[in-house]
Amino acid sequence: MYTLRRWWDRNGIRLGLIVAAIACSWAIRQTQGAAIFELYQFLTRPFANLAIPSEPTKDVLTQELQQRLAELESQNRQLRELVGYTAEQPNEGIVAPVIGRSPDHWWQQIILGRGSQDGIRVGAIAANGGIVGRVTEVTAHSSRVLLISDPTSQVGVTITRSRFMGYVRGQGANRVIMEFFDKVPDVRPGDVVTTSSISRRFQPGLPIGIVESVNLNKSPAPEAVVELSAPISHLEWVMVYPLPQAAADPTNLSAEDEPQESNALSQPSGSQSDNSDSQSRGEGF
Amino acid sequence: MIDLYELHPNTRRILDCLVTAGSVLICLLLLPTRLPGMELLSVNPNWLLIWVVAWSVKRTMFQGALAGLTLGFIQDGMTSPSPTHALGLAIVGLLTARIQKQRYIKEDFISIALIVFGMAVLAETVTAIQFSLGTVGAEAEGGQRTLSEIWIYHQQIALSSAILSSLWAPVLYYPLSRWWEQIQISEQAQT
Repeated sequence: MYTLRRWWDRNGIRLGLIVAAIACSWAIRQTQGAAIFELYQFLTRPFANLAIPSEPTKDVLTQELQQRLAELESQNRQLRELVGYTAEQPNEGIVAPVIGRSPDHWWQQIILGRGSQDGIRVGAIAANGGIVGRVTEVTAHSSRVLLISDPTSQVGVTITRSRFMGYVRGQGANRVIMEFFDKVPDVRPGDVVTTSSISRRFQPGLPIGIVESVNLNKSPAPEAVVELSAPISHLEWVMVYPLPQAAADPTNLSAEDEPQESNALSQPSGSQSDNSDSQSRGEGF
Repeated sequence: MIDLYELHPNTRRILDCLVTAGSVLICLLLLPTRLPGMELLSVNPNWLLIWVVAWSVKRTMFQGALAGLTLGFIQDGMTSPSPTHALGLAIVGLLTARIQKQRYIKEDFISIALIVFGMAVLAETVTAIQFSLGTVGAEAEGGQRTLSEIWIYHQQIALSSAILSSLWAPVLYYPLSRWWEQIQISEQAQT
């Protein structure tokens, strides 16, 4: 008993500290570092420009094009309603400043200075001129976005000109690789790539980037290198859009997006939008 | 400046804990930042690794491994828990303590920088191996890195992370080792 007591006198405090340190670190791990990110957000607040970037200098041509785009969008919406297409509400975005990057080089993440108090939820989409990524963690005043350039994030996409489909996966830089479902897709450099209607985590039609080069001989499926239109490596702020209806299902919250094979590439994409179960992919024809 | 010799042992111990925890917190807050001049190929110095090396250099293997484990868990929380960072950092702590620097190598910035360089490469390799094992376990699953991707990426970041970490190591190592030295001296003076 005496030896035990002496041992305790000598090592008790040390043991307590060890247990406390491990308990703390485990707690931080289980809460996804929420406390640290909250503190980080608090400390960086003076430096982050929370103000919405003042109306970017538009020249006359851009303004005209924007107005025409708005006109075409509204026409498109009316036509879709006429043919009985499920109407989607154009939703408002939240401007969020980027206050940090990934705390480790193996993951491509950014940290935003707005969180659940500002209406951001897990699964929301961050965009800035093109898709940036998906919100994966939210604390009260900060949120973490898994970038589209992360190797674990996959998105089903479409070539807007020819409607050929495939999926993109991250390459860790400002480029992503698009793999086609078809053996001989009609694609050439300069084509615009957008999210496809079979993607469950992203609304269809969001811009992703522009095809930079094509490799049709790649096995097992042809590949194209897509240059992202969002300036992923030097983002200062992003727009966060509330999650689409299909992604509200909590079982869908893992990092990857499962695209499905599509044979009917030229038909209107609306006919597939409700068919969300993924099939095997990449077999081609 | 507080005179450490005049403090009550318990006060001094609490102060020591606060300084140690505070330095960890500073490292954690530095992780998501990308300050100009601290970045190479969009890679940051691995502050937690530098801290673990600074801690383990004059401590036992058990203490080193424990520190690595603790900080690894925290970093898991901040990024993604699989694969875990705890394994790599624990091995780093273990090996750094095993080197027993004071016995073989002269104490200076160069040797610390060299140790950090080697350990950074080691830690990234452990992570890459964990990723590789993950691809073997879950074949055909979507959203996985391929083996070639992992190892090409590993080359890039292991080198840049090792260079940056070893260059920035003295910034963290010098004040921390000074502090721990002072604490130790004052403790010995009292007993």
